[in-house]
Amino acid sequence: MTKVDCESVCRSAMASEDGYVSDLSAEQVEAHLAECSNCRTEVRQLRTLANLLDGQKRRPRTESVWEHVEQHLPEALPTWSGSRVWRAFVVLGLFLFGYRFVEMIPDRHFGILFKLVPILLVIAAFSYLRENPFKINSQLTLEGSETK
Amino acid sequence: MIAREDTLGERSMMDDQAAIERCKAGDKEAFRHIVEHYQREAIGHAIAILGNREDAMDAVQEAFIDCFQALDRVDLTRRFYPWFYVILRNRCYKLASRRNKREMSSSDETEILAPAASVQPEETMLLEHAMLELPAEDCELITLRHLDGLSYQELAERLEVPQGTIMSRLHHARKRLRDKLARLSFNGFSGD
Repeated sequence: MTKVDCESVCRSAMASEDGYVSDLSAEQVEAHLAECSNCRTEVRQLRTLANLLDGQKRRPRTESVWEHVEQHLPEALPTWSGSRVWRAFVVLGLFLFGYRFVEMIPDRHFGILFKLVPILLVIAAFSYLRENPFKINSQLTLEGSETK
Repeated sequence: MIAREDTLGERSMMDDQAAIERCKAGDKEAFRHIVEHYQREAIGHAIAILGNREDAMDAVQEAFIDCFQALDRVDLTRRFYPWFYVILRNRCYKLASRRNKREMSSSDETEILAPAASVQPEETMLLEHAMLELPAEDCELITLRHLDGLSYQELAERLEVPQGTIMSRLHHARKRLRDKLARLSFNGFSGD
């Protein structure tokens, strides 16, 4: 429940003019504005500003970027299909599985570098696939594949 | 009347889908059509974030190159530009973070706003100057809302934040702009 104060009233008044329904009802906003001259002034100024901005248009642009873009386009599109990405992870998983078996061989000591191999491999795989392993992705889609 | 961004071009979603399919098959000419169709809109959006034409051109160029490399990830059932805008926005803010200060154009002409018959050129210049003095996020939000006419829902999707956040941010951005205009003695905001 939004508290009815000057800030929330002015915010809601402007939002309703933009077609957005906020937490405060129109009656709450009107009742506050009827009593508070500061808010009436604030909303009037912001309305004037909104009308001024609505009356503006973007300056038409004439520039072209194609020549520069064309020079820097790769010869072929990279084919990062989902299956290919998952295949890379499957290969990595199998390798790590095998690594674990080798590691479990008794009386064999391969040294510190051998122990770093899986970490380096995982870092290399995420870098190669340009994935951020720490990104929280609740939609279970590959990074960069979500569209807006 | 708010200008809708959809009216900026006649190109339909179907045209974009066909062009993207051709791009994926290696047709760079098809990508040229996409670039040439959206570049003007993209430059306008980039200037609102970066504050000057030169940086905006760099960001747009880089964004189109990123876009080409990511074309196989585009969802063909959705409109192209909102997807591209996320790439462009990332590029702009990356570039902005490399610049310590937001550099404004030194030109005598406006970069964001078109001269309007109903408004004095000096007033348009003053308004744009005040907009460019705002933080980049404020200027971006105000231009998307008022010049492109995006709804709160569209803004929320475009900027990846909830609609309530859009309401709050837009309110504060307008207040900051109003205060800047008052300081510049802009007609209608100075005396109150």
